[in-house]
Amino acid sequence: MRVEDAAGPDERPVRRIVIVGGGTAGWIAAARIAARNATGGGDITVTLIESATHPTIGVGEGTWPTMRNTLAKVGITETEFIRGSDAAFKQGARFVGWTHGTPDDAYYHPLNPPVGATEMNLSPHWVALSGSRGVVGGFADCVDFQGALCDRGLAPKLITHPEYTGIANYAYHLDAGKFAGLLKDHAVNRLGVQHIVGDVVDVEQTEGGDIRCLKLQGEQEIQGDFFIDCSGFRAILIGGVYKVPLCERGNILFADRALAMQVPYPSADTPIVCHTVATAQDAGWIWDIGLWTRRGVGYVYSSSHTTGDEAEQALRRYVGPAAQDLTVRRIDINAGHRQILWKNNCVAVGLSAGFLEPLEASALMLIEISMDAIADRLPRTRRAMDVLAKQFNETFNHHWDRVVEFLKLHYVLTQRTDTAFWRDNVDRASIPDSLQERLELWRTHPPAAQDFTFAREVFSWPSYQYILHGMQYPTRYAELPTIAAERPAAERLLGRAGAQRSDALRRLPEHRSLLGKIREHGLQLV
Amino acid sequence: MTKIAALERTRHAALRLNPVPDVGRLRYAMIGLSELGTASADFPLCLAKDAHTGRFNLITLFSLEEPRNLFWHAQRWQATYLPQAAMVAPFLLDANTELGLAIDETSPRLGPEGVPLFEADGRPTGIVNEARVRLQRVTSDVADAQQMVDRFAELRLIRPLAVTLTRKNGTEHQIEGLYSLGSNALAALSDAVIVNLYRQGYIAAASIMRASLSQIERLRQLHNLSGTEPIVDLRVQVSES
Repeated sequence: MRVEDAAGPDERPVRRIVIVGGGTAGWIAAARIAARNATGGGDITVTLIESATHPTIGVGEGTWPTMRNTLAKVGITETEFIRGSDAAFKQGARFVGWTHGTPDDAYYHPLNPPVGATEMNLSPHWVALSGSRGVVGGFADCVDFQGALCDRGLAPKLITHPEYTGIANYAYHLDAGKFAGLLKDHAVNRLGVQHIVGDVVDVEQTEGGDIRCLKLQGEQEIQGDFFIDCSGFRAILIGGVYKVPLCERGNILFADRALAMQVPYPSADTPIVCHTVATAQDAGWIWDIGLWTRRGVGYVYSSSHTTGDEAEQALRRYVGPAAQDLTVRRIDINAGHRQILWKNNCVAVGLSAGFLEPLEASALMLIEISMDAIADRLPRTRRAMDVLAKQFNETFNHHWDRVVEFLKLHYVLTQRTDTAFWRDNVDRASIPDSLQERLELWRTHPPAAQDFTFAREVFSWPSYQYILHGMQYPTRYAELPTIAAERPAAERLLGRAGAQRSDALRRLPEHRSLLGKIREHGLQLV
Repeated sequence: MTKIAALERTRHAALRLNPVPDVGRLRYAMIGLSELGTASADFPLCLAKDAHTGRFNLITLFSLEEPRNLFWHAQRWQATYLPQAAMVAPFLLDANTELGLAIDETSPRLGPEGVPLFEADGRPTGIVNEARVRLQRVTSDVADAQQMVDRFAELRLIRPLAVTLTRKNGTEHQIEGLYSLGSNALAALSDAVIVNLYRQGYIAAASIMRASLSQIERLRQLHNLSGTEPIVDLRVQVSES
């Protein structure tokens, strides 16, 4: 490269970051970049434009364990977060009625990995030993102890555990509206994010197509070097300006509507369930999550397989008499994601990037890992941006595809034939080829790290095992020639899981009682 | 098990208190702010979490691992200072009772021997009145210490204290759950905060707490005199990160 190539507008430093949208995605983006810049002593300014007229969606109420890192990185304590977002702990999901639809049909996808996951793949050993010598129960119950905590409504940690640590791995259920408010307050008052309320009415671009400035109602102009589109389903920049089409995934994941309801607890000491409950229905499934103040319940369904009225009746039936005076919110789902997520000097994060049914609470997680990629390698110059954009687009197209396949996995393993929704879900035309390929392999070989191309997959091989075995996928792992030599070590590991279970059940407190203590006394930093 | 009941002149008329305190198995005691300097002449001072609230308490340690008080020997304290909170059992404050006190009826100090709690006419003896005054003083003093410790926590000064001991037989043991103050964190406080803490006596207290950690070595010496498996090596380290 010649020296003069280094000059010119492309080498201008990227200093002014502009975020469009004041929902959870926008405030996470603003806080992550501002906190990163503050700790690094950088020269970045962060401006967030919140619409004066479009309310946020605010139903993203389940997180992944990644949220603990995100909060720690932006400098919000766990105590502030739990108090400010009415948050509760989440230790995984229980899928009810997905395999047979019978009353006793349920399994856990816990957040803990199987015991000794870094040492050994226990899946074939569980298959071989199941039913013998103390190996009794489902896969999740034998290789881990978290399901036992969920069954008994116990918390994943003690009041004496420092912030963001515990005995079991955990995530949160939160009130999305309150969470966005907490992030906003933190970003504006402690991290110096500039907050502007206004609606974008016009966008000025350079000849090369970069966004130069946003024009707001009332002639205010916001100039920037790098724009993050967090404008939700409206996708003002990635859709409105760049016309990037959606990769639609409705042919794989049929749900296209959701009905949401907020259900109060019958009394102030009602136990708070410490996991997400996902109960299969005739044309979709119902989510049920416990917050400090209320439950959030909703029916995600396919409008090709039921009507809005039927769906609402099913939801009210599920909630019971408590639903009588409650109103229902309707949300349209257009399953899919943008073909290009980062175009020129604009990247889409949150609903503007795409949306899938919340079966594994991937929405907030995708925002977080997008911001990990963006904030931790914030482009220093315009020239650097093109390479970073290429990397980002490759990575996130991969992640979106993997999320789609992992969600579809929950449907294709069903043995239900009672309604058209479940029958249509196992139609081969609706199953991505790469998933069909792996499912074929997984008949004889357990899911393993080698099945996936990325070092850090959003859903790693243990998650696939929890679903496959939870849904009783027929396997022949007991025939694998390698497992005999591993047998003694495998039995020791299964014994360790049992010992961990006894210890955890003896020590851990009831979920609501711990939340109450955290709200009263706080958690310590060390 | 304990059985706490309101102290009553009829129910407890015949009860007597053994004047020797029951502290032989006491491993630690909470201490009040005013005791900090004198207590540090004998005991290491550190912080430990309250199991019910997770908040830090200021405590003195009486032993390293075994459930015994290494300063209690031949039915006597072998120390120059006796932490007040270790002296109050079996009495507890209870403002809802006539005498302002409750009592642990299962305490081995209570029985037919010793000093009576009530006169023949039912009036409380001097012991009961002393217990109430002592408890009130200790409670308020411990609350003052609590306030200081809360301030230390708020300023993010508290750090894990790793105490690792090696026994003569080669086994190692790490004592969990102890905390102290980080020197680097203290040094990094702003001038304004330091002046504010200094005026409240908290800087002096912090220095005493840090210096008292050398008394952990004294616990090792007392332990080795006690006839159990000797401790040959002791490492005490406050995490500074």
